[in-house]
Amino acid sequence: MSVLTRAFSEVFSDQPYSASRNFLISGIFWLVLGTTLGLLAASLMTWPDMIRGIPQLSFGRVRPAHINMVTIGWLSMGYIGCFYYILPVLVGRKGVWNERLANITMVIWNLLVFFGVWSLLNGYTEAREYAELEAPFDIVALAGLILVGINGYMTVLSGPEKKWYVSVWYILGAMFWFPVVYIIGQRVFFAMEGLNDAIANWFYGHNILGMWFTVGGIGILYYLMPRFTGNPLYSHTLSMLGFWTIAMFYAPTGTHHILQSPVPEWLKAIAVISSVFLLVPVLTVLTNFFMTMKGKWSLAADHIPLRFALAAGVAYLLTCIQGPFQATRFINWYLHFSNWVVGHAHMALLATFSFIVFSATYYIIPKVTGRKIYSKRLAVWHFWLSLYGWIIMMLALTIAGLIQAAGWHFAIPYDQWVIEMHPYMIVRTLSGVMIVLGQILFMFNIYHTVFSKEFEPAPHSPTGIAFV
Amino acid sequence: MDQRLNYLIAGMFVLLTFITIIFVTTLLPAWTFKPEASAEAVVYTALETEGRNIYRREGCFYCHSQFVRYQDPEMGEMVKAGDYVHETPHVLGTERTGPDLSNVGGKYPSAWHWAHHIKPRAVKPGSIMPSYSYLTEHEMTALVAYLQTLGKNRKLPQWIVPPQEYRDRFAVISEKVNVKASAIANAGRGIYMQNCAQCHGVAGRGNGPVSMSMMKKPANFTRPYYAKYRDDMWFWRVAEGVPGSRMPRWDRSLSDEDMLYLVAYLRTLPRTDNPKVNDIEVSEMSQLDDPNVLDHNFWQIESLNPTNHGGGDMESRYAYGGGRGD
Repeated sequence: MSVLTRAFSEVFSDQPYSASRNFLISGIFWLVLGTTLGLLAASLMTWPDMIRGIPQLSFGRVRPAHINMVTIGWLSMGYIGCFYYILPVLVGRKGVWNERLANITMVIWNLLVFFGVWSLLNGYTEAREYAELEAPFDIVALAGLILVGINGYMTVLSGPEKKWYVSVWYILGAMFWFPVVYIIGQRVFFAMEGLNDAIANWFYGHNILGMWFTVGGIGILYYLMPRFTGNPLYSHTLSMLGFWTIAMFYAPTGTHHILQSPVPEWLKAIAVISSVFLLVPVLTVLTNFFMTMKGKWSLAADHIPLRFALAAGVAYLLTCIQGPFQATRFINWYLHFSNWVVGHAHMALLATFSFIVFSATYYIIPKVTGRKIYSKRLAVWHFWLSLYGWIIMMLALTIAGLIQAAGWHFAIPYDQWVIEMHPYMIVRTLSGVMIVLGQILFMFNIYHTVFSKEFEPAPHSPTGIAFV
Repeated sequence: MDQRLNYLIAGMFVLLTFITIIFVTTLLPAWTFKPEASAEAVVYTALETEGRNIYRREGCFYCHSQFVRYQDPEMGEMVKAGDYVHETPHVLGTERTGPDLSNVGGKYPSAWHWAHHIKPRAVKPGSIMPSYSYLTEHEMTALVAYLQTLGKNRKLPQWIVPPQEYRDRFAVISEKVNVKASAIANAGRGIYMQNCAQCHGVAGRGNGPVSMSMMKKPANFTRPYYAKYRDDMWFWRVAEGVPGSRMPRWDRSLSDEDMLYLVAYLRTLPRTDNPKVNDIEVSEMSQLDDPNVLDHNFWQIESLNPTNHGGGDMESRYAYGGGRGD
């Protein structure tokens, strides 16, 4: 069999869990490209004359390309990869409902990411932050999401297990909510005028995180934590309370992104109140998370996937304390329009949700390929480079954001405080180098595990500690 | 009860909750929130719409907001919901790496915008704006036409005046010192040469030797704009310095009388009406050697039309902030 036909049969395979593997490895590819684009954007903010005269590489186009590649490309694909492993396992099936359909979705999604980002770099954009993709891509993405949803729901309905573990709830919830958010937020089939456009824009901008990354990520985390620790989940009641309150409080928060703009006051009030009430689902998740760790903290010394999950849990705690804090009118008054918010976004998308997928990848790849992860040392390097890269980036952006906020509030001339921000922008770029380097090691490690001819078979390890 | 029925009820409940919340937060505003167009709302021409699309295409809104909040009085009048009626899709922006552009129209001459988009740091040292030298001449015309419309329907606030404290001090001291007398101006020249010339230059052109090391260049007093400066305004600026710049507070080291001598000298400096220097605020003309710039007839400055308010200083537009916040 030639390489081409082998690749073809791998891509359109109907082997159980092949879609999970294919989604994860294509997600990792977009992760490396997406973080590289982020590094490029950071460098352009630091040294604006680094690249001149190339429209595709100007900051205003690289930034949406970075955002869309990490959200639609990396995180969404990584999530679907995890869902396609977790759902069948939890309902007692071998593989998803229709593995070939899942693989076709994977191919469509990859084409979407490639051509979508290509079009953004070439200036075809709807120019709504987070929802930049043009209408044709929106329709493809929506079709992809519906296929994902059909496969997910049919998997659960066709599985022998009828008592669903809480992760199933979360994942099915995410699969239902995100297409709805997508239709409204991206305005696929209708347009809105003036400020209503901004309201719908930020409905999407916040709910791609709230109704997709948070709900899905918590679903994955609730699956992984009992597996990693060997403890049962601390409280199912709390996890269900978290599920319902996320649905209640996440959806209306979007307007806190335009809190001082002239949109209706009652909308702002709802947004701020529900932002603060987000502490309820967050605390249920974190109580469950840390109580499930009870007595098993020492495992983190040797258990790389658990280490990623723990870092994600701590980052989630910080994100969700910072989020409601800065969404209140009082704090938002000062911090809005600054790089502080960019730091917050990286804490959520990089340190929380990406770390959850890193953790799941190190656990799922040996399960679905039967191969032990190629190198533990590379995984450890990936962990520390990503973690320290994020911490340094977070600090740099937060300090830069405070300088910027002070600059605007005390009416210091713009070209003065931009100079003050410059050292922190250099630090941010260096932290970006660390993060990209970590992701390249991650890609090499996983690709070597999956594609190499020589491999160690995955040992029997219920907690996954021996996989890495 | 049957397990499936349980799930069904729960599922219906999720659906209902979520649909209700979506309805309240996105569709209800779209239905009930329909502000009337305000007097400040701008209807764009075809060229300006094209410019607006270039503004969106190049992602300008990632760094420039277009809404003035209650807490930024120095940026102009606070926006109202009705200002955005014709702004579809919106370009509000959520991050301000660069200045707010709600009222940028008329603040600078169009030629300044051309130069700024092609070589940002030549006209604004320290700026981190990307260069847009790749835009075609037509695209640049459209973009600048769009920028010049922003805030064009907002009323021009009155001229900035010094705080009462400084006006009182000026009134007291100007009874002793006549700033219009040439002998006083002569005395002021000595003080200027000792204290100011190293930054502002011997001729007051903002090109003294120390200015080489400054990112934010000292003011060029020969701009026609300064012909409109009131005497107490000079006094205030000298006494308090300019926040955010290297301009010190001279009332720490000079007496009020000395500062008035200085004012007398400053108000006699010639205001040259040379557009090459004055309208573009180019601190370092030598940086403008880019052939791109020359191609666009950079040196042929258009005459100031009535919508261009003066030489382009914050103070000519905003009443409150003392020319800061740009």
